Amino acid sequence: MYLKQLHLQQFRNYRQQQVEFVAPKTILVGNNAQGKTNLLEAVALLSTLRSNRASSDRDLIYNDADTAQITGTVDRIAGTSELSIFLRSSGRRTVTLNSERCRRQLDFLGTLNLVQFSSLDLDLVRGAPENRRRWLDGLLIQLEPVYAYIWRQYNQVLRQRNALLRQIKKAAARGKPIAPPGTLAVLDVQLATLGVRVVRRRWRALRRLVPLAQHWHSEISGRAERLQIDYTPNLQGADEETIDRDPEAMRQGFLAQIQLKAEIERYQGTSLVGPHRDEVMLTIDNTPVRQYGSQGQQRTLVLALKLSELELIEDVVGEPPLLLLDDVLAELDPDRQNQLLAAIEDRFQTLVTATHLGAFDDRWRRSSQILQVNAGAICE
Amino acid sequence: MHILQQSEQDVYALASALTDAKKQVGLCRECYHLSAEPICDICRNPQRDSTTVCVVEDSRDVIALEKTREYRGKYHVLGGVISPMDGIGPEQLNIQPLIRRVSQGGVKEVILAIGPSVEGETTTMYVGQLLKPFTKVTRIAFGLPIGGELEYADEITLAKALEGRRELD
Ligand SMILES: Nc1ncnc2c1ncn2[C@@H]1O[C@H](COP(=O)(O)OP(=O)(O)O)[C@@H](O)[C@H]1O
Ligand SMILES: [Mg+2]
Ligand SMILES: [Zn+2]
Repeated sequence: MYLKQLHLQQFRNYRQQQVEFVAPKTILVGNNAQGKTNLLEAVALLSTLRSNRASSDRDLIYNDADTAQITGTVDRIAGTSELSIFLRSSGRRTVTLNSERCRRQLDFLGTLNLVQFSSLDLDLVRGAPENRRRWLDGLLIQLEPVYAYIWRQYNQVLRQRNALLRQIKKAAARGKPIAPPGTLAVLDVQLATLGVRVVRRRWRALRRLVPLAQHWHSEISGRAERLQIDYTPNLQGADEETIDRDPEAMRQGFLAQIQLKAEIERYQGTSLVGPHRDEVMLTIDNTPVRQYGSQGQQRTLVLALKLSELELIEDVVGEPPLLLLDDVLAELDPDRQNQLLAAIEDRFQTLVTATHLGAFDDRWRRSSQILQVNAGAICE
Repeated sequence: MHILQQSEQDVYALASALTDAKKQVGLCRECYHLSAEPICDICRNPQRDSTTVCVVEDSRDVIALEKTREYRGKYHVLGGVISPMDGIGPEQLNIQPLIRRVSQGGVKEVILAIGPSVEGETTTMYVGQLLKPFTKVTRIAFGLPIGGELEYADEITLAKALEGRRELD
């Protein structure tokens, strides 16, 4: 798929900006704080309706303006689509596909697919488990848009349940303990039902991703090392086969574990069982990369994960997704730069940001469209 | 979230219901719908089928369902949904009066028509469990609900949802 055009209105530090992408690779070059990441953020919103750095839509709208709009034109095998997001400072959004308003996010998601890779992604291997969960969830939304809905629902149930557990905890602290109300039993069932759907899909995605990641990892590291990826759901006794064959048994298991932890949960005032505590363990040659990996190993691994993500989305969607590289290329040594270049060829449309062109290999520079980004304005 | 987006017309309907009344508008003692009289028009209407009670989140939903003209039974307005985050538990809603109403007998079916949000689902399950010992409990079918601000049911989907209701499991 190919993003031909992007139009920004009052988005972040852009007033009014039209961008035409004329080559499979585009380098956005400019000093810090000029709007490079903002542009990638706009493209990512068209894909996922999520921003990984804005806490509310207010942040996405130019200074004191009330509204912002992002519009993109995407070529796919099946035809050209126009995607548009209308943001309001109130937080209410309108999204349209080919000028038709989408009533469900599902009708919009999945039109533009992409993989994001920024220098922050080192946290994916060395950071807390939360980073890996967020990464996996982002990938899942691309693979099966309905996951966006399941995931949001799970989190909403979790917040409600935690609020109730806090109330129970507070009441006990005041010396007036309340018996667990019927609402808690209902929330238990909701948490377990949605939790199993989350775990099942995380497993499904990793099952397909792991061999690809192992392949890329051995390519990049020169076959010297063996990568292992283990999904460990926060659900005792959960295994991949049972959850596919008999999700109801899994759900009962989930509920049984909530029962076991009931006492501690009420004492701590928070939910202790469920996929919000899942981990994806990354090990190289039986050593956990998170604690013991060298920086070189960690970089190689992130690159391998990202390349496998690209490949998996291409497999599932049937078309190569976009690749957004934010500040990351300059951090890779020439060898890894070339490996990345060889992997993406001209098949994956790539948008790259950098503060100067010096960091790029000649081959990159020659084959790319170069755009200057300066204080919210873009020129050739 | 409500089962129907409030259209301008609904706002007018509600506003005129309020101003026509002139007296202070209160809640129907039977069903908790907005009403100038102690018992609302719907509850007083002998043509309405009192063996069916449709449970909704608030009065706007009653107006929405009335517009479909598909429904001939009576209503019960909960006055919200269960949301611990907002400090709303079952005690804050008109759930006890509903149980009383149904446990007295004579109700053959309770239709739960609460919005498809997470909180709506919590409320549906909670109320459903309490009602099941007394009568048949069904819920209206929303198909695949997709929360968020993007989506609301329109009148046609609502009429279909009512028709396609299924027994609560
Ligand atoms: N809502 C907004 N309105 C106006 N300017 C904004 C808004 N949000 C961010 N900015 C500005 O955008 C710039 C950061 O842009 P960014 O794309 O992150 O920079 P970089 O080019 O380094 O990637 C900062 O100058 C910041 O003040
Ligand atoms: Mg940046
Ligand atoms: Zn009434």
